[in-house]
Amino acid sequence: MFAAFLSTVCGSLLSICVTALSAFSVTIIFRTSTTANFAQGSVAAFGCYVVATYLNQWGIPVYLGVLPGMIAGVLIGLFIDLVVFRKGRHVGELGKQIITMGFVSLFYGGIPLLFGNPEFIPFEPFYNTTKASVDSNVVLNAFGGEIVLTKHALISAAITAVVLAALFLLLKYSKWGLGVRTTASSEFTAELVGINTHVITAISWALACALGVLAAVMYAGGGAMINTSFMGTIQVNAFLACILGGFSTFYGPIVGAVLIPVLSNCVGFLANFPAFSDISRWQMVIVYILLLVIILIKPQGLFGKKVVKKV
Amino acid sequence: MTDLNVKQEYLRLTYSDHHKASADEKVKKLLCIPLTQYLIFTVILGIFPLLAQMGVLTSSFVFAIGNTMIYAIMAIGFCLLMGYSGLASLGTAGFVGIGAYIAYYLMQIYGAPFGIAFIVTVMVSLLSGVLVGFISLRIEGIYLAILTLGLSEILRNTFISLKSTIKLDMSKVRLFGVKIGEEQVYLLILALFVLLLWITSNLIRSPIGRALLSVKNSTSAAQAMGINLMKYRVLAFVISTVYAAIAGLMYMMLLRNMTTSTSTLLSLATSLNILGAVVIGGAKSLWGTTFGVFIIYGLQSTLLSKVPFFVENPAFITMMTGLLIILIVMFFPGGVAQMAGNLVQKRKNGTINAQVQRRVDSYGRK
Repeated sequence: MFAAFLSTVCGSLLSICVTALSAFSVTIIFRTSTTANFAQGSVAAFGCYVVATYLNQWGIPVYLGVLPGMIAGVLIGLFIDLVVFRKGRHVGELGKQIITMGFVSLFYGGIPLLFGNPEFIPFEPFYNTTKASVDSNVVLNAFGGEIVLTKHALISAAITAVVLAALFLLLKYSKWGLGVRTTASSEFTAELVGINTHVITAISWALACALGVLAAVMYAGGGAMINTSFMGTIQVNAFLACILGGFSTFYGPIVGAVLIPVLSNCVGFLANFPAFSDISRWQMVIVYILLLVIILIKPQGLFGKKVVKKV
Repeated sequence: MTDLNVKQEYLRLTYSDHHKASADEKVKKLLCIPLTQYLIFTVILGIFPLLAQMGVLTSSFVFAIGNTMIYAIMAIGFCLLMGYSGLASLGTAGFVGIGAYIAYYLMQIYGAPFGIAFIVTVMVSLLSGVLVGFISLRIEGIYLAILTLGLSEILRNTFISLKSTIKLDMSKVRLFGVKIGEEQVYLLILALFVLLLWITSNLIRSPIGRALLSVKNSTSAAQAMGINLMKYRVLAFVISTVYAAIAGLMYMMLLRNMTTSTSTLLSLATSLNILGAVVIGGAKSLWGTTFGVFIIYGLQSTLLSKVPFFVENPAFITMMTGLLIILIVMFFPGGVAQMAGNLVQKRKNGTINAQVQRRVDSYGRK
C-alpha cells in the first residue's frame, strides 16, 4: 500500500516541475514589477506553438526546438516590459495587471491566426522513447511494491532542479540577484541607491517568459493537448502556489508548487479506499477548498511576512 | 480694470444660465436625469423585437443584443465592485454558474416557476457574496484576485462534477403562470438590466456609494471617518455576486443549454472579459461599462459578423479586444467614459474661451 502511495505521489513529479517553474516566473515578475502576470500561461502556450512548428517543419529534436520557443518568450517578455509598461502614460499597479489580461486576449486571438487552428500538435517528450524504442517508464522496486516514473518526468525534474538551483544561486550571490532583491523590497529605494531597475525588471520579464515556455514544453511532452488555453490550469495552480507559499520570499512559491500537485494526488489516492471510491470527481474541488482554508488561516502565505500598513 | 471686467463677464457667462430656463434647456435638464435616460434606453431596446417581427432587423441581431445585456448585468455589478470599492475579483464566472445551475435544477427538474428560481438565485448568491465579502476582509489586492479565481475554479469543478451538460426546455418555464417565448425572455432581460442599472446608479449617488468610494481610496482613512469596513466590503461583494448570478439565470433562459467543461461562460475568460469591458468603458461609469460590454460581446455578433473579413477570421476580434484593452490602459486609464468626458469638457471650455475672447476683443476696440 505504501509503495502504491509513493507511486501516486511520484506521478505528480511532472506537474510539480511545471508548476514550480511557472510559480517562480510569476513570483519574480510580481516582486520586480508589482504585478501579477496573468499572461504567463498564454505566453507559454505561444512559445509552445513556436516549438511545435519547428519540430514539425524541421524535424529537430525537442531539446533544440525548445530554444526558439524560449527566444520568442524572451522577446515577448521584453516587449511587454519595455514597450508597453514603460511607454504607457499612467500605468499603475492595477493597470499593469489589466494589461497582462489584455495580452491573454491578444494571444487567444493571435495564436489561431498565426498557427492556424490545430487543437493538437503532436509533441514529443524530452527523451523520445518511441523513437529510441525503449520503455518509457522507469520502475523502482521498493517498500514491497513498484514505483513507476516516466523518463520524461525524470528528465524534466533534472532540468527544473538545475535551472532553479542556478537561479537561486544567482539571486543569492550575483550582482543581478542583489539588484532583484533590492528592487523587490522597494523599487523607489533601489533607484535611489543607484540600481538600474529598468534593466532588472526587463531581465525578470525575459527570464519569466522563457521559463514559462520551458514549463509549457515539459507539460506538452507529458501528453497534454496543446491549445491556446492548455496552460490555464497550471497557471491557476501556480498563482495559488504563490499565495500559499507567500509572495515575500522566492522559495515559498516553490514549496507551494510542490505541495499543490502532491496534495491533489494524495486526495486522488483516497479513491483506492472503498469508502472514498467516488472521490476522483471531486478531487480538484477538495484540493482547492483545502488551499482556501490554509490561505484563510495564513493570509500572507506559509512563509510570508506580515506587511504593516501606514496611513 | 479690464481683467476684473473679463472675470465678471466670465462668471456671468458661466453661471447666468440657471435663472432663465427656456423650453430647450428644460428638455436638456430632463435628459440629464438618469431615470429619463434609462427610460429612453429601454424604449429603444424594447422596439427591437417589434422591428424584428416587421422584418427590419434579423432575429439573430435581437438575440445578440439580449446576450450582450446579460453580460452587461454582470459588468455593472463588477463596475460597482472594482470602480467604486477597488476590490479586484476574478470570480465572476463562478457566480454566473450559480445562477445557471439553479435555473437548471429548479426550473427544469423541479418545474418551479421563474419567480421562485429568481428568488432562490438571489438568496444563494447573496449568501456566497457574504462569504467572499468576509474573505475579502482578511485578504487584499492581488491575493484577493487570485483567491477569487481559485473560488471560481472550485465552483466550476463542482458544477462539472454535478452535471456536465445542462438544458432548459422553454415549455417548462413559467412566468406568473404563463408560458413564455423568446421575445418575452428578451424583454425580461431588458427589464432586469434597466432595473439593475437604475438601482446601481442610485446606489452610487447614495451615502453607500460615497462610503464605498472612500473605502477604495484609503481603508484606514475611511475607518477613521467612522465607516464600517466590513459592512461595505460585504455589501459590494453581495451586489456583484447577486448581479452575476442573475446574469447566469438569464443566460440559461436565453441560450437554454450549456456544456460546462467546454463552455467559456464559466472559465477565466469570462471574468477577464468582464474586467476588460469595465476597463475599456471606464471603471466609474455605468454607461461606459455598458458600452465596453457592447464592444467586447455585442460588436462581434451584431455588426462584425456582417463584415466578410471578420467572418473568416473570428480570432481577429478577440485579438482586437486585447489590443484595445492594452492601448486604453496605456493611454486612457479612465476608459471611453473619460475620453468622452474630456471631449465634452474641451468643447465647453472652447466655447467659453471663445466667448471670453470675443469680450476681450470688444474691450480692446473700446
